[in-house]
Amino acid sequence: MSSDFQLVLTNTAGLSSVASFWVFVASNASKRFQSVTLKVANIVMLIGFIALTIAIITRGIEAQRFPLANLYESLLWFAWATMGGFLYLSRAYGIQQLGWLASLVAATMFLYGSWLPQSQHDITPLVPALVSYWRQIHVPPLIISYAMFFLAGLSGLLNLWQSGRLRSLAFCIGTIIAASSAIGLGTFSKVDTLWLQLLFVGSSIVGPFAAFRALGKIDPAIDQSQSSRKAAEMYDDVGYRCVSIGFPLLTIGIITGGLWANHAWGSYWSWDPKESMALVTWLSYAAYIHLRIQRELSAEKLSIVSVIGLLLTLLTYLGFNSLGFGGLHSYGKFK
Amino acid sequence: MATETLKTEENQKEDQGGSSDKASTSGIVSDVTTSKTKPEAARRQLSPFASVKLSVTLMSLMALTILIGAGCPQESQVGQAKVFEAFDRQTAEFLIRIGVSDIFHSPWFLALTATMTLNMIVVSFQRVFPKLWQYNKSLPFLRGQDIAKTSVHHILKFASATDSAQPATHQQAALLAELSQRLTKMGYKVKIDGLKLKGEYGKVGRLAPSTTHVGLLTLLLGVTITSWTGFNGFQPILLDEKLNFSDSQHSKLWIGKLPQWQVRVDGTRRENYSSGEAKQWFSKLTCVDDKGKVLHQGEISVNNPLTYEGVDIYQSSWGLAKLAISFNGHKRELDLNPMGKKYACFLPLDQDTVLIMSLTSEGQNLRLFAKRREWQAPKLISEIDAGKTIRLGDVDLKFEKVIPITGLQYKCDPGLPITYVAFGIIMLGVLLAAVPHRHVWVAIEQNMFYIGGNSRKAKVGFERSLDNLVQKLRGEFAFETDQIVDSAPSAKTQEEQNVV
Ligand code: HEM
Repeated sequence: MSSDFQLVLTNTAGLSSVASFWVFVASNASKRFQSVTLKVANIVMLIGFIALTIAIITRGIEAQRFPLANLYESLLWFAWATMGGFLYLSRAYGIQQLGWLASLVAATMFLYGSWLPQSQHDITPLVPALVSYWRQIHVPPLIISYAMFFLAGLSGLLNLWQSGRLRSLAFCIGTIIAASSAIGLGTFSKVDTLWLQLLFVGSSIVGPFAAFRALGKIDPAIDQSQSSRKAAEMYDDVGYRCVSIGFPLLTIGIITGGLWANHAWGSYWSWDPKESMALVTWLSYAAYIHLRIQRELSAEKLSIVSVIGLLLTLLTYLGFNSLGFGGLHSYGKFK
Repeated sequence: MATETLKTEENQKEDQGGSSDKASTSGIVSDVTTSKTKPEAARRQLSPFASVKLSVTLMSLMALTILIGAGCPQESQVGQAKVFEAFDRQTAEFLIRIGVSDIFHSPWFLALTATMTLNMIVVSFQRVFPKLWQYNKSLPFLRGQDIAKTSVHHILKFASATDSAQPATHQQAALLAELSQRLTKMGYKVKIDGLKLKGEYGKVGRLAPSTTHVGLLTLLLGVTITSWTGFNGFQPILLDEKLNFSDSQHSKLWIGKLPQWQVRVDGTRRENYSSGEAKQWFSKLTCVDDKGKVLHQGEISVNNPLTYEGVDIYQSSWGLAKLAISFNGHKRELDLNPMGKKYACFLPLDQDTVLIMSLTSEGQNLRLFAKRREWQAPKLISEIDAGKTIRLGDVDLKFEKVIPITGLQYKCDPGLPITYVAFGIIMLGVLLAAVPHRHVWVAIEQNMFYIGGNSRKAKVGFERSLDNLVQKLRGEFAFETDQIVDSAPSAKTQEEQNVV
């Protein structure tokens, strides 16, 4: 059982992510009060972040183990990293529109986590395979890198918005919603996984493709505006920044996973599906980085690439288990 | 369209072999790097494998291939039966035929890996490593007019009583000292020459591509050595029997040697939790040569292998294999089947009767049951301790012993130390890639103050930091309120706007 104290803190964090979402949205209503409302939104988010930090630490103390052992706990970490990542970016770059998207992602993760069955919420002892100090070296970098890649994808969306690529933006958002729905249904419903796999994979192929095709359609009113251009440039840069933080973390996570595996059963790589998926994500971001260096793609195209990255991250993190691809790394069945 | 212009411009540069630092727009800044342009272009034309477009394509294809491999159960990992479990018969047969169910050994995957390796080697040597020579070249101090060409810059005018008067020299010196202090605090390495200043930040970031690529090539080396000389396998071995390596697996292209020695299992046991679940398995192993001479000894358990001559032997599974009993002095060995926490064997006595013998994992005492067709459940007949005999009708039944079996996994991975070093280098390299490399220049000329610079990555953060700096200076020193040239993005070229 987990204590009331920890529960209250976790709920505070969840509620403040919902609250900050609405305050960030509301900040767009009035230009006059914008700076004040944005400050409030940031503070609400900060309160949630601090509450979650303490909640995670408390959970670790109560469990007497590193508090990252099942899906529920990893979702808390993901939300924590998303909130923390945004707070850092908003300080360093003064970006604000990313705020409501980051809040939305954190809130969705809280919601997803709270819907999981009680067995996931309870603090339970570890299965023998996970009892190892390698766990705390291997898993946190991965979860944090996933959060960074999410933030990069969201910045990509904002870049598309600010550069007037509204149609491409719509395709990207549609794809993310379709893919997330597949995962939600896969976790909580009894819908045949084959259909859900099809929904996820199909939309991930069709959506970005359509988004690329639609790049030529530009809303001139947005594109021509001075502030939009500046903002588009900024979101492009922020996206790259997130990837350049997420990529080393993913690399470290994959490699330490290999070291753990070699230590435990004498082979650092076994082409387990989740392992392979992490490698797919890694290769994709390596491709993204090389595209950046060569400057062969425009910012808008790179934004769509970062949305594809977001989809792959989602597939690696939640999709492979919930969509029934299976493998060694599943967090355990609970349907 | 702005971005399309950019694209063609950049492509032209590519085609001309235009080198490296495209982010630096100031002529002087790129001078340092363009000296390499010509020979590099000549070499590059020689090798079609030196294209980064090709590498991005290969990476994407590789990602796609692995994605497919992750979606289909792999025969070499989980066996062919799983493929049929996951798909209907027709699909499964199709996937097996086209090689998707063993994609990581398919010619396609091997060819892709080979092309990628070639691409990486060529690019690393032709485009990445040569840039290392420029690492220690430092950029010159810049004059005001050059600073005005950098991607982020501010130009201020010193306020003075009379316009023509020079601002006091001590004020200028104080300004530079203040700037130097602030930049140093921000992590810049600062140099001052008269009324000029230059600062550099995150120079180590420039080592990122070379480091990462050295790491990747090292990884390939380690993996290749293992693939050409390493081997591995799994063998269940009965107590007192020997493991030899003749059934081991290795790649088709193999120049390694299998050990001549063997491994004898001298003892093996299981330790339980009080609940009866397995807690740990142990095996006492002895490496012996073909004449039976002892070479090495040790006890292994899960996570705790024995290593001899580069071969690691892991404890990977455990069980009770056979039951040795004798009937009226005739010895027989019966196969045991695992049944939950117990092991059992079945001996049909006649058409309707089965004798069941069951053991717990400790194997200390044997329980005898009989089961007749008309009975609901087996009936316990007797319990026998090891070595004891009981009389059943006119038969003497002796429980001789139980023979355990230990699952030994072994591997020889000669490339592993190199692979581990590679892991370290790669992690270092990608961490370095997160460090943005930045330059700042300052010049004071007459009553004008120039500050500007560039950053290859995280440009917006750089711009903000420079804006902040100028804001603070304005608070502390007397400048005229208007900037001479606005540094808003409108002043920047299209290229700069779109290129990070
Ligand atoms: C397939 C073959 C590959 C080729 C042809 C290639 C090519 C290149 C090139 C030309 C650069 C730019 C060097 C510079 O600007 O100085 C670069 C940088 C880099 N490459 Fe690769 N690369 C390959 C594979 C990889 C892979 C698989 C990774 C995965 C980690 C990787 C990681 C990096 C990193 C981290 C950088 C530095 C990025 C930065 O400075 O921001 N490369 N690569």
